[in-house]
Amino acid sequence: MIWLEFAIMQRALIACLLAGFLMGLIGVFVVRMRLSAIGYSMSHGAFAGAALGVATATNPLATGLLFASATAFLIGPIADKARLHADTITSIVFPLNMALAFVFLTLAPEVGLSSQVANVLWGSIISMTNSDLVYLVTLFAATLAIVYFVWKELFAIMFNRKLAEADGINTKPFIYLIIFLAGVVVTFSLKLVGGLLIYALLFNPASTVLQFSENMRKVIVYSPLVGMTTTVSGLVVSLFLDLPVGSCIVIVSTIVFAVALLLSPKRRRKEENDK
Amino acid sequence: MHEDAIIKLEDVSTVYEGESRPAIKDINLDVKRNELVYVVGPNASGKTTLLENINGLLPPFRGKVSVFGLDVQSNGRKIRCQIGYVPQDFMVKPGEPYTSLDVVLMGLYGQIGFLHQPEEKDKKNAIEAMKLIGIEELAGRPVGKLSGGQQQKVMLARALAKNPKILLLDEPFSNLDPDSRGQIPSLITKLHKEKDLTTLIVTHDIHHMLDSCNRVVVVSDGRIMFDGTPEKALPLVENHPHTTSLEATHR
Repeated sequence: MIWLEFAIMQRALIACLLAGFLMGLIGVFVVRMRLSAIGYSMSHGAFAGAALGVATATNPLATGLLFASATAFLIGPIADKARLHADTITSIVFPLNMALAFVFLTLAPEVGLSSQVANVLWGSIISMTNSDLVYLVTLFAATLAIVYFVWKELFAIMFNRKLAEADGINTKPFIYLIIFLAGVVVTFSLKLVGGLLIYALLFNPASTVLQFSENMRKVIVYSPLVGMTTTVSGLVVSLFLDLPVGSCIVIVSTIVFAVALLLSPKRRRKEENDK
Repeated sequence: MHEDAIIKLEDVSTVYEGESRPAIKDINLDVKRNELVYVVGPNASGKTTLLENINGLLPPFRGKVSVFGLDVQSNGRKIRCQIGYVPQDFMVKPGEPYTSLDVVLMGLYGQIGFLHQPEEKDKKNAIEAMKLIGIEELAGRPVGKLSGGQQQKVMLARALAKNPKILLLDEPFSNLDPDSRGQIPSLITKLHKEKDLTTLIVTHDIHHMLDSCNRVVVVSDGRIMFDGTPEKALPLVENHPHTTSLEATHR
């Protein structure tokens, strides 16, 4: 394809593959550990941080990472210390992050939908730089290594946290690790998909694969593949229709999930059992 | 502490979050090495709370719990690696992406330790535990597709796979079919003797008691109402209105 001759398109394609893989992989843990509300809140933390970066003309990646980490810290250890349920703290932190994001975007030097503001909101393939790719490749390698070394603990916690504790696994650090990893992966994928939509990419691939597979090892392999397929398909659709790439990726991944739900043998079995 | 006491609860009271009434109150209990203790009592009397205080899943509001002479709150992980635990009414939803062997092998993960991967010998131990319970043919099947009784056997195999020093079983026979209900308690008693285990079994099925155990603890309204031999416990338990009705329901 002629697009691939252009550096921008090559970078966008590589970014789509890496971000799709990482979101699909981390999404499995987020969905299975029932951290969806936390992931949702943290995605918007990264969004607020990136907005602050745009407003203060600093690196949106750094500020996004800072906000995502702060949100992860608020929702994880502090919520535990304060004995607050994750849903309660999420209900407070999510609107706060959105409010901050819109305040920061309003304070941005070029108010309104300037290109930088639009990138933070909807994502952009043009904004992907070589440095962004280096970050994503590093994150890809680090995430794979972490998941490999702590797979056994994550596998047990995803089955049942209380049983994992009963068998001598200290589950809290692993839950915090996943919350933190989700925050970092979301932040580094933000430029591609945009802060308003990024969380969908965290949940859709894993939820799609979980409709079919009865083997967690297959889920962990197929979910990143679905993530990569949907991000690349979304990129192609956005190029053909000249629409924001983030929106196209999320629409494609939602359609894939809807089809999976329709075809899901698990859903059919459940319906038959309910009759 | 008595030198043989492997489990010791001293003035233990536990209150669940958001509740004002303690689930157990001022419990004092010593369990010696190789004792097989049945814990009986009506629903919501504090039996499960007692077990979860022993393995440290639930911290006591007041008092102290020691296992192997170690404080459970500060040594919980180390202690739990040596305890085989079967929780009450544990049911896996259909469609869960785990096989029975996965679930049994997971029981060993705490012992295998951080950054270590399960080895072939761990898998062998898991299979051996499944053979012992008579469910090796279920190893590759998704656990959510098994019946309630089969799932309960998987949980028992999981508890045994780690070669525990203590067994804490919370209503482990409640979903078993009539045949298994005859076999599995006898098997647990046999393993208890052969492997020098210390075993606490929460149950409503009081008629297994006379054959197998040497001590019965009756819990009611969060307190220990009786602690003694099964012969003395049986009339007390059988005459208790809650226990009688629950036993009838289970049958």
